[in-house]
Amino acid sequence: MVRVLKPVELIVVASEKGRVTVKYPYQEPLVTSDFRGAIRIDASKCIGCGACVKACPPNALELLESPERLVIRYFVGRCIFCWRCVDVCPVKAVVGTREFELATDRVEDLFNYTVHRRAECRECGSGFATRRMVEYVTEKSAVSEYYANECPECRKAKILNAVARRRGGV
Amino acid sequence: MPGVEEYVRLAQERGGRWVVHGDTVHLVVDPSDLRPIADKIFNEYGACFRTCVGTDERPLNNHFSITHLFTDDRSGLYIALKSYLDPENPVAPSIADVVPAADWCELEAWDMLGIRFEGRRLERLVLPYWWPEGVHPLRKEFDYKSRPDVSLARSERVTLRKEVGTVPLGPYHPALHEPEYFELYVKGERVVDVRYRGFHVHRGIEKLAESRMNYQQVNFLAERICGICGFEHSTCYALAVEKAAGVDVPERAQFIRSIVLEVERLHSHLLLLGVAFHLLGYDAGFMHMWRVRERTMVLAEMLTGSRKTYGINLVGGVRRDINEEKKSKVLSELGELVKDFKRVVEIAVSAPNVKRRLTGTGLLPKEDARRLGVEGPVARGSGIDKDARRDLPYAAYKYASFRVPVYTEGDNMARVLVRVEEVFESVSIIEQLLDKLPKGPIMAEKVEIPPGRVGVQVVEAPRGGDVHYVLTGDGRPYRWRVRAPTYANIPALKVMLRDQRLADAPITIASIDPCFSCTDRVVVVRDDGVVERLEVGASW
Ligand code: SF4
Ligand code: SF4
Repeated sequence: MVRVLKPVELIVVASEKGRVTVKYPYQEPLVTSDFRGAIRIDASKCIGCGACVKACPPNALELLESPERLVIRYFVGRCIFCWRCVDVCPVKAVVGTREFELATDRVEDLFNYTVHRRAECRECGSGFATRRMVEYVTEKSAVSEYYANECPECRKAKILNAVARRRGGV
Repeated sequence: MPGVEEYVRLAQERGGRWVVHGDTVHLVVDPSDLRPIADKIFNEYGACFRTCVGTDERPLNNHFSITHLFTDDRSGLYIALKSYLDPENPVAPSIADVVPAADWCELEAWDMLGIRFEGRRLERLVLPYWWPEGVHPLRKEFDYKSRPDVSLARSERVTLRKEVGTVPLGPYHPALHEPEYFELYVKGERVVDVRYRGFHVHRGIEKLAESRMNYQQVNFLAERICGICGFEHSTCYALAVEKAAGVDVPERAQFIRSIVLEVERLHSHLLLLGVAFHLLGYDAGFMHMWRVRERTMVLAEMLTGSRKTYGINLVGGVRRDINEEKKSKVLSELGELVKDFKRVVEIAVSAPNVKRRLTGTGLLPKEDARRLGVEGPVARGSGIDKDARRDLPYAAYKYASFRVPVYTEGDNMARVLVRVEEVFESVSIIEQLLDKLPKGPIMAEKVEIPPGRVGVQVVEAPRGGDVHYVLTGDGRPYRWRVRAPTYANIPALKVMLRDQRLADAPITIASIDPCFSCTDRVVVVRDDGVVERLEVGASW
């Protein structure tokens, strides 16, 4: 008799537990404080080093380059909320948020751009790296200022010249 | 019980080469010796066949290669049996007649690499039928971004068998909302034969990793192999790379991995139990099972930052620590969970309709289970006592004591009961490991991965053994081979469904807790009973 009635006990469980679903979206919060959501790049801190782009597994962060500008493009539609970018950013410009309600009817809302101006080479005047990055490097080590203002091409050419001269060349 | 010497002797006797690297015995033999050696390892030594790996090694040494992976679960050994094949015309003898479990992986190596297997019928398994002949995507010269030209939509007539009725089950599973396609041939109410067409979309994950990811990024790709046991895959990948490169992973990281792996098992088993009740028309049981399951999801979010246990594995360790506060939260939550689960599951399993529909249906005899190399609860429900956590210990499992439940009935009930018991074991493992959690860092100091090394790892996922094989390359895996447990379990459905009632087919299919990868297809049943599959082959 007891065994036959066993399944009925579920009614007791149900009445004890009551309603467990929440009235989303009117009831907060749906995620806990440990949740990893979308990220935000603080444009005032970012130096445009590209470390986050390199670490990002699904290419949600991309580097768009032109001679004048360097742009970090964040496409949240691809982001897997892993926060690898948060880990690797040398200046803590990337902050993780708990945002996950990202639906929109305008695709532009899913993109975020961090725009950098290129540094100008002291020798040839062409754009390289970013201004911020050069500032950052110089700040870290004052000695490097002289070299930091030169583009990699000019630096290479100078070294080659120096080597050639030592060998008794020009 | 054969040990390292016996395995080494297999290559020695036939003039092959061998290397023993940690727990892995690598044997390199002539292709003509593959079959007798595989036969001996599988049928005489009773080792478990896990998968085979085809590799295009032409850029390295101008050869293709095929590697059969076995594990000897009694001596805790991995055996990698390898042969180099001709670069122009790669041919290997098929071992599928002596090792039936190798059936699919040989077909896959044929599809993906064009390795021809002699002594068996070769047919498409993974590639869609509209894929052009002679294009093998895992060959190194195939660019991962290239797309073959194909026409847009074509339909394939699947069957027109007169003597039996055909019941298409798919393209979506009635409960799992995933695409797969079974064709059940019925006589009256009885299923007399089954055909399976799967791999509806092959995501090319291995190719992607071998082409554009770096070692650490692959962890995040590996997770996405499965929407349920993602952490198992990233752990398995990380362990394989760490094994290959000899990375020294801190103990604490290994403990955290094991803890999260068990949380994952909890949510996976609770999910399946709920689905099983739903399929049997017992929705009250389903709802309550999922109510209990929600607790594990919150635990997962607390430990990993994601309800889906994503995002914390790296080669060399983990990214999130467990502090004292979390530890006590997990423990109290688990206590509640066990009480709740015990009560609900006892009620649910004693419901008469559940009991009757599960008992005696979907039978898988032990010998078939062994031959087909089934994994996890499917194996343990058919009397095969294997569990990689105990037999090939990894992460921190050697520090926990637990029981491996085994049932000999081989029916749907047995597979359900195995999972029910495993829930209790998992809770106990988490408690033990949290208690013993050692202090220290959670990430290795140095992660250096030299090219040309091989790592093979099996991780016991909720559905059975995951297998990852990594041949390291320059900045990324040169070859990464993944085998999920469902891959080994689906072929056994042929046995389980045959001679059963049609009405039990959905629950029997669900009883292996299958994981199919996804895309849309359409099955059209015409008036005259012809079943047609319509495929939308993109012209991208
Ligand atoms: S959170 Fe992960 S996926 Fe998203 S932008 Fe950062 S690195 Fe890329
Ligand atoms: S890592 Fe940080 S500083 Fe560098 S580009 Fe990304 S956000 Fe900017």
